[in-house]
Amino acid sequence: MPHYPEGTVRALLQTELVTPATRAALEARLNAPADYTPQFFDADTYQLLRAVAARIFPQPDREKPVELAPAVDKRLTDGTADGWRYDAMPPDREAYRLGLGGINQAAEAQFQQPFMALSAEQQDAVIGQLAAGEAAGQNWQQLPQDRFFEEFLSELTENYYAHPLAQEEIGYVGMADVPGWPHVTPNTLEPREPEEVK
Amino acid sequence: MPDEEVLEEGVLNPVQPEIQAPLLQSLLADNEATPATEPTGEEAPNPLPDPTDEVDCVVIGTGAGGAPLLARLAMAGLKVVALEAGPRRDPTKDYATDEKAQSFLFWNDERLSAGQNPVAFGKNNSGTGVGGSTLHYTAYTPRAHRGDLKLHTDFGQGVDWPFGIEELEPYYEEIEYFLGISGPTPYPWDPTRRKGYPLAPLPLNGAALLMQRACAQLGIQTSPAANAALSARYYQEGIGWREACTNRGFCQAGCNRGAKASMDVTFLPLAESYGAEIRADAYVTEIERDASGRVVAVVYEQHGHTVRQRCRHLFLCAGAVETPRLLMLNELALNSGQVGKHFMAHPGMQVWGTFDEDIRPYKGIPGGLISEDTHRPKDADFAGGYLLQSIGVMPVTFATQMVRQRKLWGQPLRDYMRTYNHTAGINILGDCMPHAANYMELSDEKDARGLPKPRLHFTAQENEQRMNRHAEKIMRQIWEAAGAKDIWAFERYAHVIGTARMGLSGDDAVVNPDGKAFDVPNLYICDNSVFPSALSVNPALTIMALSLRTADKFLAALRA
Repeated sequence: MPHYPEGTVRALLQTELVTPATRAALEARLNAPADYTPQFFDADTYQLLRAVAARIFPQPDREKPVELAPAVDKRLTDGTADGWRYDAMPPDREAYRLGLGGINQAAEAQFQQPFMALSAEQQDAVIGQLAAGEAAGQNWQQLPQDRFFEEFLSELTENYYAHPLAQEEIGYVGMADVPGWPHVTPNTLEPREPEEVK
Repeated sequence: MPDEEVLEEGVLNPVQPEIQAPLLQSLLADNEATPATEPTGEEAPNPLPDPTDEVDCVVIGTGAGGAPLLARLAMAGLKVVALEAGPRRDPTKDYATDEKAQSFLFWNDERLSAGQNPVAFGKNNSGTGVGGSTLHYTAYTPRAHRGDLKLHTDFGQGVDWPFGIEELEPYYEEIEYFLGISGPTPYPWDPTRRKGYPLAPLPLNGAALLMQRACAQLGIQTSPAANAALSARYYQEGIGWREACTNRGFCQAGCNRGAKASMDVTFLPLAESYGAEIRADAYVTEIERDASGRVVAVVYEQHGHTVRQRCRHLFLCAGAVETPRLLMLNELALNSGQVGKHFMAHPGMQVWGTFDEDIRPYKGIPGGLISEDTHRPKDADFAGGYLLQSIGVMPVTFATQMVRQRKLWGQPLRDYMRTYNHTAGINILGDCMPHAANYMELSDEKDARGLPKPRLHFTAQENEQRMNRHAEKIMRQIWEAAGAKDIWAFERYAHVIGTARMGLSGDDAVVNPDGKAFDVPNLYICDNSVFPSALSVNPALTIMALSLRTADKFLAALRA
């Protein structure tokens, strides 16, 4: 699969190829403080959320991973929604409490330890069960496992690929659109579009 | 009260009250920020001011349903006020080329999605702000075909519209010229049109060219699509010159150039230049009537204040969820039993693939190429038909849809997303039959205003399922012929249609063929809620055509 050079989006953000509104949105994510204090989750549940997110988006290539949990905590604190939810699901705050609790229950059922105490391989086994809709735990009687995993995965994915470092990773520079894109046919790159690293 | 119990149970540990509505949050924030203008605590709450100024028409909603008629009514010399629940923004300064930052374009109050195929709302199909959902529409503007309006006649299924395509054609022509539609002339699937498109088609991007090449091999006719985005500078009355599209590919998250013909850069400035007043951040809660059942006023919340606006006529253009919701909450126009019924959503299945070519799917108009060869497929085992379109896509939208379908996580997820620049898609836009099992109701769960959240039931019926199977097979063939690897399909449903249908009789329809409510003498409804059937084309152009037609019918009745 393609790899792209690092630093592309960060360099473009310093140029007039990006509008001020676009720059503000992306730099806010890039420069988010590392020491986020959760407002919605208690400290233990927040660490559990971070641990699960770290297996869904493993980032061994980064010294400091793109943090995906703060945006979840912030959204649940604010109580904002994205316009809809599955009728079969409880409200988002309750869904996260039940779902994260259910992940711990699944870990206990399979390995007799909470999720945080497991090795990375064991954690992946638990998430694999969740993804397959086969995780054990009483919370799943109140929460449809497949819908929770879909919603949770989707929210983490949105937070990850909205981040400038993730956009560098996939070679996306659509934010640098001030001059427009006069060449839209395949295999015709503008100078500011990164070429793949062989 | 049971409702309150549900509310309490729903929020186990509210850090703040359960304000899930960003709009209300911003209203409350505004309110707190301007205490000086608020009455002091000592004052008893005053009765609602009852201003004597009465306008001819209030229009609720400024999207494709409300904006064209607002302009038409203002140009006829009427005193008109539009109430828009969302904010007014300046796209040139306020819009970021960033999907997440643009979430303010969407109607993000929570709706409950039920049924076997729960429909996604928010960014999938529901907008807010001055311009409504046209702020985020893809700007596809195909015309409906003659047969789309007479499904029952042709197939014995669904319902016919109460008039034929000839009623819409003059408005299609007018709107195509007013908006500056870019498209092919002659139009391959309707070559006898009186007028061609005013502008040449937009350039074809990677997905469009791949689809074009593969369809040519398979004997499927294609054409550059009709898009409401300018392929050249265009003069617009009320606003001046609009600049050409620069292929930003960002239509679904807001055009910052005015090249896309959203209502805020077309019909709304035209309306304002003729004296229409547009009030943003105005969330309608009540529709007041007199003893005879005539609408006399509309009550709305704006910046923490409750305001009443008297009117002689009301045009409800809030979309196929908020329109029936307002009718239900106000117990208005309910005699037919059709409000909320026959909710429809277009089958919008997508097929994605990975190509050797370097595509960069963020570039170019997302929907560049079209085929309507599947409008009435010869080998169909279903009623109606669909059209095929190529699709470009932004990374966050693509990634979130992809994980919903493929459930990739861990390293395979990151690996797959590295192929984003080599991704291209095609999708369909298919007709949907009205069905009794698909409907909207008010739930027991309350939103931040204390109003019931809408619950929408949608299950793809046999006809939609057969159409999906037919379409998936063709799209996979096209993408295989185009050289795609790792092909996958995403079943989805787009657009929100039905729920206040138009018809010939008040026994089975909410509005008559002119858009006027059967039950209420001075209420008109114009948006996608009045569609009796879904049509096999993207709805925006037809909503606008209905809007102008509704205004003309109203004005003719007024002058009679």
